[in-house]
Amino acid sequence: MSSHAILTAEDHRDLRVRSEAAADLGDAVMGCLTFPDEFRRVQGEFPILFRLNPERDSFTALAMFGLEDGENLFLGESGWTATYRPLALSIQPFLVGRDASGDGPGQVHIDMASPRIAHSDADGVRVFDEDGQPTPYLEQVASMLGELDEGYRASAAFFDALKRHQLLQPMAFEVPVEGGATNRLVGYHAIDEERLRSLDSVALAELHEAGHLMPIFMALASLGHLATLARRKVQRMDRG
Amino acid sequence: MSVSGQKNAGAPDREPPIRRVVVVGGGTAGWLAACLIASRVDAACNDPVSVTLIESPDIPTIGVGEGTWPTMRGTLEKIGFAEADFLAACSASFKQGTRFDGWATGGANDRYYHPFTAPYGADRDAVMRWASAPGTAGFAASASAQPAICERNLAPRQRQMPDYAGALNYAYHLDAGKFAHLLARHGVERLGITHVSDHVTTVERGGSGMIDAVVTRDTGRIEGDLFLDCTGAAALLISGEYEVPFEDVGGILFNDRALAIQVPQLEDAPLASQTNATAHQAGWIWDIGLPERRGVGCVYSSRHVEEGQAREILDAYLAATGGTGSASAQEARLLSFRSGYRERFWEGNCLAIGQSAGFLEPLEASAIVMVELGVEALLEDFPRDRAALVPRARRFNALMRYRWARIVEFLKLHYILSRRIDPYWCDHRDPDTIPARLAELLDLWHDRPPLAADFSAIDEVFPSASWQYVLYGMGFVPPLASPMRHSSPGAVRALAAQRDQRERSLLASLPSNRAYFDALGTPPERQKVTTH
Repeated sequence: MSSHAILTAEDHRDLRVRSEAAADLGDAVMGCLTFPDEFRRVQGEFPILFRLNPERDSFTALAMFGLEDGENLFLGESGWTATYRPLALSIQPFLVGRDASGDGPGQVHIDMASPRIAHSDADGVRVFDEDGQPTPYLEQVASMLGELDEGYRASAAFFDALKRHQLLQPMAFEVPVEGGATNRLVGYHAIDEERLRSLDSVALAELHEAGHLMPIFMALASLGHLATLARRKVQRMDRG
Repeated sequence: MSVSGQKNAGAPDREPPIRRVVVVGGGTAGWLAACLIASRVDAACNDPVSVTLIESPDIPTIGVGEGTWPTMRGTLEKIGFAEADFLAACSASFKQGTRFDGWATGGANDRYYHPFTAPYGADRDAVMRWASAPGTAGFAASASAQPAICERNLAPRQRQMPDYAGALNYAYHLDAGKFAHLLARHGVERLGITHVSDHVTTVERGGSGMIDAVVTRDTGRIEGDLFLDCTGAAALLISGEYEVPFEDVGGILFNDRALAIQVPQLEDAPLASQTNATAHQAGWIWDIGLPERRGVGCVYSSRHVEEGQAREILDAYLAATGGTGSASAQEARLLSFRSGYRERFWEGNCLAIGQSAGFLEPLEASAIVMVELGVEALLEDFPRDRAALVPRARRFNALMRYRWARIVEFLKLHYILSRRIDPYWCDHRDPDTIPARLAELLDLWHDRPPLAADFSAIDEVFPSASWQYVLYGMGFVPPLASPMRHSSPGAVRALAAQRDQRERSLLASLPSNRAYFDALGTPPERQKVTTH
């Protein structure tokens, strides 16, 4: 159950939020949402894959951390082991909310049912200072929320372009695990490299002008990190 | 090749190797030294060094101090404690520095901090930035975020940080009795120290002047190759046996008495982040907050006030700080001490560690750190055999004399810049009582801030940052702009912005000391895993 509330200095003056990465704080996830403007930062460490929504009419982009549900190969005992932590994770337990009309400026909302809400003064980071002013942590979260919001909104055009040029293809990835079995990653799409190579100059120019070409290449390059996931998985199995 | 090298090559077994370390005396110094040595012994080597500690059941140990220096974190880690275990076992609290009340003028707003975290930016920049922005906060508050953290009684670290890591530099306040007890148990059970509870009656010296053994009342002879004198003020070996003279510095640092008392913490009282040192007419009062109690003590010069007066001063302080409970200064324990240190600390095969080596008033808590530094210096260059003792003793003595002299000067600095007019304070400003090196430095600092080059030894007890904090905290006028350019105004401004941002982040992320210690023992909060 979530219980979303508008974040205000009045209601949340003494609120402390646990911002560190840990399994029981909700970081044991195999991937999180990302968006084209974030691809450059994400592709340095994680594969970027795409997934059709249940209605099969639109795609979302995902930064991948594991090969099966609940598996995060970048979550170690002492926290996040990658250099970059994608925005969709970093902003937890905050989210962008809007007033009833659905437009107007975004508001900072918070999920008060999140395990990240500290129930002891000994844990977490304050959101407001003694004077009710936002702390640097909240300032940073607000700026990340703004970027996420804008990024998600702008991504519709990107996915339209991918569909129009049929640049996504279903993919499967298999990792051999102990006992001769394999761990298979299915149900995802990836950039179709063949198709991308065959685009003509008009199509390429159109993608470039709209700012889509760079994220397409970033997503393509990120596929090399599927091997990173496989290596981390094998290492983890060897240890455990 | 050196002469001794040839000798070793030719006759490797002629000199007895140093294999048996005997620590005479328990207490904080003895157990800390024994644990540090035992934890560093290479057990895999052929004939590993053994550590024996002889503790007299007749002599009660006096806690040498309840304040430590940040070096203690590294020391505890080396000895092998988990930080939370140490904190709980010693009723310890975090110490982020010292707050000085009433030292400069004795007026109402007379307060400054000596925090453990060095100023933001280089030596010179922090001072010049503060000096060029008149009307702002004191130097420490301008140079470091730590005073603001201390003002709000916040802890220097978050609970989920790795042991001994801090967002700010910190040390501990602790219950010295419990600390010695913890070290003893750990030393015997985990580090293989042999504990002999017996009274040393005589010392046996061999022909070369070295101590061969100490004789105990019930256990008999205990032989050793290296002896540590941790017998406190009695200085059984270094003074009783070797008669190394004591250099009295009472002419520089006048305090020679302390009235010590423990008072309960008031319920819900915040737990302070620092030692409070409050000046009075003829000395000062320490106030150290542990989770359950405060240790308070009135340090004074018996030449300037009578004991009865000192008790009144302590009573007034206890009443003003709301912490008397049922305690009264009449019950405070009187301790007499002499400030000074040995001419030599390492003589033959005997090292004086702790109060046997020297003692200074507890201002700036130098007692325990001198134990750590002394033992570290021994371990860094541990003598292989008896022939190796003499050159090491010479070097050790020079190093420790340098350190004691610097501490004496640093403590004196706290007094000489005061504008208080009581006879005690006036006497402190008498040029005849000020060490020459200190007078010369003060002269230099009229033109430029204390710099790292002024204190350039390795492991300097008080680095230039400490001198800056006290110097400018006491109201010393910062230098005017230098005729030389040292850093760009832009860089200095950027530094100021960074510092401010850091302070805001720290204020948001650090828990209060109370919250930290209330939660001690419970692991960082964990909730049921929710799946998404």
